Amino acid sequence: MTRNESRIRDLFDWPLFICVVLISVLGVINLYSATSVYTGARAELYISQIYWLFLGGIVGGVLIAVDYRHLERAAYFLYTFGVFTLALVFVLARDVRGSARWIEFGAFRFQPSEFTKLFLVIALAKYLHDDPRNEGRSLKELLIPAALTLVPGLLILKQPDLGTASIHFIVFLIIAALTKVRWKSVAVFVGTVAAVAPVVWTYILLPYQRQRVTTFLNPEADLLKGGWHAHHSRVAIGNGGLVGLGYLKGTQNQFNFLPDQYTDFPFPVFAEEWGLAGCIVLISLYLFLCVWGIRVASQARDRFGCVLAVGCSSILFCHAIINMGMTSGVLPVVGVTLPLFSYGGSSVLTMLTCAALIINVSMRRFSSVADRL
Amino acid sequence: MSMLVRRSDTTEFRKRFRWIGLFMVLCFVGLIVRLFSLQILDGEEYRAIARENIIRRITLATTRGQILDRNGKVLARSRPSHNLYVVPKRLEMGATCVPEVEEAGKAPKRTCWTKLVGFLGIGEDERARLEQRLNDIRASDGPRKDQQILLKEDISRDVMANLKTHEAEMPGVAVVSVPVRFYPNEEIGAHLLGYMAEVDAEKLAALQSSGYIEGDRIGITGIERAWESYLRGTRGWEKVLVDARGRRRSGGDEIIEEPRKVDPIPGRDLRLTIDIDLVKAMDAAFRGELAGGVVAVDVRTGRILGMYSKPGFDPNALSGGSGKQVIRDAFRRLYLDPLKSALDKTVSGAYPPGSTFKPITALAALEKGMIDARQFTQCRGGLAFGKRTFRCTHVHGATDLHKAIAESCNVYFYRLAAEFGVGMDVIAEMGQKFGLGSRTGLGVNAEAAGRMPTRAWMTLRNKGQFRLGFGLNAAIGQGATTVTVLQLALAYAALANGGTLFQPQIVGAVETSAGTVVQEFSPRVRRQIDVRPENFALVQKALFAGVNETTGTAWRARLAGVEMAGKTGTAQVSHHVVRGQEAEKVWYFSREHAWFAGYSPMRAPEIAVVALVEHGGAGGKHAAPIAFEVVKAYQDLKVARQNGKRGATAKDNKGQGADPPAGGSP
Repeated sequence: MTRNESRIRDLFDWPLFICVVLISVLGVINLYSATSVYTGARAELYISQIYWLFLGGIVGGVLIAVDYRHLERAAYFLYTFGVFTLALVFVLARDVRGSARWIEFGAFRFQPSEFTKLFLVIALAKYLHDDPRNEGRSLKELLIPAALTLVPGLLILKQPDLGTASIHFIVFLIIAALTKVRWKSVAVFVGTVAAVAPVVWTYILLPYQRQRVTTFLNPEADLLKGGWHAHHSRVAIGNGGLVGLGYLKGTQNQFNFLPDQYTDFPFPVFAEEWGLAGCIVLISLYLFLCVWGIRVASQARDRFGCVLAVGCSSILFCHAIINMGMTSGVLPVVGVTLPLFSYGGSSVLTMLTCAALIINVSMRRFSSVADRL
Repeated sequence: MSMLVRRSDTTEFRKRFRWIGLFMVLCFVGLIVRLFSLQILDGEEYRAIARENIIRRITLATTRGQILDRNGKVLARSRPSHNLYVVPKRLEMGATCVPEVEEAGKAPKRTCWTKLVGFLGIGEDERARLEQRLNDIRASDGPRKDQQILLKEDISRDVMANLKTHEAEMPGVAVVSVPVRFYPNEEIGAHLLGYMAEVDAEKLAALQSSGYIEGDRIGITGIERAWESYLRGTRGWEKVLVDARGRRRSGGDEIIEEPRKVDPIPGRDLRLTIDIDLVKAMDAAFRGELAGGVVAVDVRTGRILGMYSKPGFDPNALSGGSGKQVIRDAFRRLYLDPLKSALDKTVSGAYPPGSTFKPITALAALEKGMIDARQFTQCRGGLAFGKRTFRCTHVHGATDLHKAIAESCNVYFYRLAAEFGVGMDVIAEMGQKFGLGSRTGLGVNAEAAGRMPTRAWMTLRNKGQFRLGFGLNAAIGQGATTVTVLQLALAYAALANGGTLFQPQIVGAVETSAGTVVQEFSPRVRRQIDVRPENFALVQKALFAGVNETTGTAWRARLAGVEMAGKTGTAQVSHHVVRGQEAEKVWYFSREHAWFAGYSPMRAPEIAVVALVEHGGAGGKHAAPIAFEVVKAYQDLKVARQNGKRGATAKDNKGQGADPPAGGSP
């Protein structure tokens, strides 16, 4: 027993854990600043965030304790459940600012799309685990994984939530990149996307989504409407300079020029207060988290764990890069949270679950150990 | 454990991890490059934008200077006008109303509106009218319902205090205080002080470089206009912090760069030379007369002691504060008045001086040596000249210069023109020496020049035909001869002081709001009139007789205790009868102007007074009593002030405040 405990201590992925803790701490500190503008309930959000982090820690602990391979059997069930809740959104959810993303259970509400990307990763892992190959795959052979992605992806796009939908697609693409795909197939795929994109643009995207994209392409055109968020978040980042204005001293934040600074725009708050130096530290932490996840994947003992780790890293990567990209003006503004920086229970739980799954895969990389645990 | 899958064939993935990892690294490096560009390369630019976002320059209002009389009594000052503004759409947002839902405008505005009406204490009619207006705006499209509109101007201080206490319960209601000009004496001195109005778009374009902005008030007439640049003051500004919604934030000492604030400079106070109590006495003396003007000047300095024009107007109504409707009404009254209340009759109106001009004619004749003062001529009630008979008031019999002035014999002066060669040019020259027929340079209100007609001018005017009869009229101040009340007052001051014609002064000193004198104006002599002293003495004696001899034209008007020399005048007017004009009006406008011009006391004169009653009739009966009353008031005020001052100095040796009288030689 004691032997086992010391084994756990040795095998536990401390670097990843410490990295997650560091990001969480920075996130809470930053959230305090972001909500210091407000009075009343919103000023206390950082405390709720701490509660969520603890809850996420407990969930993560449980997930780490259970061998990830148990997930394999539940994979398609979880996936189906996820798609079901997404469908439920259309029946139950109330509109928040023009899109329906939330489901409420009494006082409790959650955002199914936050979890479906995880379920998608698990489902894809299961599928690829069951379908090992050594020769190149054709597009036809990726049809089922693609369909697995498209079902929740399109449902989320319909909510409408462009950001989360695109995360589903990008995660799929990264996992697909993991497999050996024939070059010819890649070419066909790119061609198809190029052909379908205009149709999606015209018929599927809603006007406000199109506007966000056009605003991104020409940011100064309409400052007061779509460009407001993008403009002021860029100004906040630029205002930070090399070392920042100091904690709680960011003017763009303190004078309310950053709307949603505690949900989608915590990064400008951070960048304004800590400058490029702080940003490099934060980005390094995220980079470490993602690349470490890929490293864990490369050492995984089986295909399921491998895809799982890559998928979870991809989720973290997508959130981090899309959020920071949109706030710094290189990507259009979509509602994507910054892992462990944005306030929100669903987001915190998802991100910590991702980290926990990576740790799980990491701990069980040696089959002998895994069997003993 | 054995039931778990145990395939570990990950060879398919093996080569890909590196590429995925590299892709992620590249993405993050790209992000850092972007941040480097934003924060370092363009950092200055964004910092400037961020500063601009939160720093706003607001202007700090200045206060307009006060206008004080010579004794420091306030004639014009600024007072706050509390204006009530509401945002129509927000007004209804009581505890129960949601504006978007109740856009139709039926049920809303229970809580807040009724409360507001209660505080304002307005009647049913006004309430219904305001309600109608608000509903109209609320029902309309466009941004107006979201903007503050002026609901009621100049609410009382009590109402404002009530509203302020309940501000929190009434969203969309705000009280904004703006300074308006206040003239405590209302009509008294209105022409002299003038009034203010919002600067109009046309003027604004020209004045923008001097710092005027839309909504500024500017002096339109009187001293308010002439001394605008002194009174106005200079606006200041301050940089303040505002948030994204434009609300002020405190602090910012470390954010806002120097200079952070420029204090406004309050306008200068003006201390006038007039005594408002004397002007009040002028107003009182004018009771019973419809229109006219009085000017009292200090004989020794040319400073104006009092100026009064009737009918007057209330500059408070014109200067705003009580609402646009009140201003409009006041203007309508002002410009539709047949008695021309807008006109300052002391400087802007030119009238034939009538007999008050005779001393000038006399001096002209004496100086040229054309007559002997002791020589008598016979007045038989008129003089036949050419085809006309020039009339006198009555038969004076044997008349010399003294009697001709004291009893105002026209025939004597007709003869000077007809038989002694005292032509128009000689008379005009003397008139001009006394400043008649040219602007005095007072600088306040549009001055009429008046006219001293010469032979050449008359010839031109009458298509090349000059008739000697013109000269006869000119000799008695009739015909084309016109003067202003102020000109005549200064001329009589020069008659009294032996030939010093002063530049009239109305502002004695410019002071800071704290009372420190910035600039003081000493008397300015316009001209020394080269008339021999003995000739002055002759005329002065005759003027004294005009009041103090039983046969003098002003004898009946004189007051006990008032030592005065002066000349009455009854100037004929030519009234063009407009067809259909009421008989009463025709009678009034055809009546003569009544004049009296004089000075007091006889020895060592101090004050010269000229009174004009438009269409008043005989000068001795209608104008002279006014002048006497004014001089009496002047004497009484002087005594009262000296007593008061002596009392004060005797008590605590702190004789401050009151100025010495003009040119006050101890």
